[in-house]
Amino acid sequence: MKISCALAALVLLSLGAPHQSSWAGEAGVIDRIMAATAPFDNNQIEATHILPNQTVWAKELFQGGEFKVLARKQYMERYRCSSCHNNDHKMLATDGAVLTHGDIKMNHGQGDNNLTCMQCHHPQDRDTLVNKQGDKIDFDHSYQLCGQCHFRQKRDWLGGAHGKRVKYWAGERVIRNCTTCHPPHAPKFAKRMPATYSLPLKK
Amino acid sequence: MTTRHNEEDQMNKEDILPGKSSRRSFLKGLAITAAASSAALVTGGCALDSLPQSKEELGLKWQEYFQDNYRLMTQAEKDQTVERLTRLAKLEDNRDLNISSQGPREQVLFGYAFNISRCEGFMDCVEACVQENNLDRQAKTQYIRIFEMEPGKLDPSTGDGSYFHEVPVADKFYMGVQCFHCENAPCIKACPVKATWREPDGIVVVDYNWCIGCRYCMAACPYYGRRFNWGKPVVPEDEITRRQHYLGNRKRMKGVMEKCTFCIQRTRQGKLPACVEACPTGSRVFGNLLDPDSEIRFVLKNKKVFRYKEELGTDPKFWYFID
Repeated sequence: MKISCALAALVLLSLGAPHQSSWAGEAGVIDRIMAATAPFDNNQIEATHILPNQTVWAKELFQGGEFKVLARKQYMERYRCSSCHNNDHKMLATDGAVLTHGDIKMNHGQGDNNLTCMQCHHPQDRDTLVNKQGDKIDFDHSYQLCGQCHFRQKRDWLGGAHGKRVKYWAGERVIRNCTTCHPPHAPKFAKRMPATYSLPLKK
Repeated sequence: MTTRHNEEDQMNKEDILPGKSSRRSFLKGLAITAAASSAALVTGGCALDSLPQSKEELGLKWQEYFQDNYRLMTQAEKDQTVERLTRLAKLEDNRDLNISSQGPREQVLFGYAFNISRCEGFMDCVEACVQENNLDRQAKTQYIRIFEMEPGKLDPSTGDGSYFHEVPVADKFYMGVQCFHCENAPCIKACPVKATWREPDGIVVVDYNWCIGCRYCMAACPYYGRRFNWGKPVVPEDEITRRQHYLGNRKRMKGVMEKCTFCIQRTRQGKLPACVEACPTGSRVFGNLLDPDSEIRFVLKNKKVFRYKEELGTDPKFWYFID
């Protein structure tokens, strides 16, 4: 009788004992994730084929595979820049207020180290950007430029820990470009009121 | 009723509801009494808020009353249930809804990661969630709660969950809490009628029709992840999301539990949850944990991650990470 009681207690104890990440003889979710190494066919999900925005293939790889980023050029109001910035075209001083980008307020860089135009824009070919080596960089692939300083962010962005996908978790990987979220001339998010509020918790 | 026992069933009925037949017959008896008395009310002209109901509507409601637990239905029965709900919405509220009963997919297990060094507390996620999931505007039900946290603290109960001022505030960080869809969920164990369960793709769901509103699950959840409908949910007609799922954002009744479903109506179609899509800072990462090339797996592999109250052994599928 005593032995059976002790046995029962033992069984109860072992049932009640907290067991990290595994329970009732089953493997926990971490073990399940670690075991899942077979590639997953993302294109099996049929609803993911329509994407609203214009995209371009990125010139880098994500975990060994190709992916797309949102294009930038169609959102630039005054692209193509060479329609004004060329040697044949003489600009009138009266057009200056509208056309010399007086609306741009630079707020990019720490403290007094504010960037200037020509650190990113190509001095001769205004339709492109330029990196520190002097290579031309397309506006649609600005991550190649931003990544020069923000290399940590770029590494995370390539992997998926920074930035975000567009609309779908499945299907072709389409992610936002740097400039989709960050206005390049003042990339920090402005302070603002929250979209809503929560009621206090009842305790 | 013989169609129920086919191969599509995920489990044996007796495993889920032992002694169900006796409870069923008891309820049936109750229902007949209740229906008889309510019918008497309607014919007597005492019902103030309900318009005269058509015979079809009464019939559908009768059928709905005896509807089975969603998990025990065959796909045909699920389709029938969803069709009935769609028709009832048309008859009752003149709404054209698109309710789905889409099941889980093979090799998919949903997981979520939240970047506590990116979130700036704008709460666009909360607003998007309320809109997407047809949450009660009157009681201000919200599935997500964002806490404004002091540096160094990692327990949301130490933070301010009801801030309303310009964000982000310097030297504060923001931490979002919602249902963590635990693999070993205490809420599921607490439910006395098995009205809540974990789907094969990892989403913890509630069958609103089966829920008896005892709120045991709410008490069992260590994360404050569940919400109760104390009254009939109020949603403005023009703000209703019409693309719905039986286990997701369809109309809830008074006295039932509800919770975040990872936007089951969206994610099962490959879309991101509403909160992830709305987030302006990209703090929210969602994906398939069983896909080694997914973003969520990248986060788990390469970032510093932790889970809230991991020591409880609830095994949540929601990770926090820092840059």
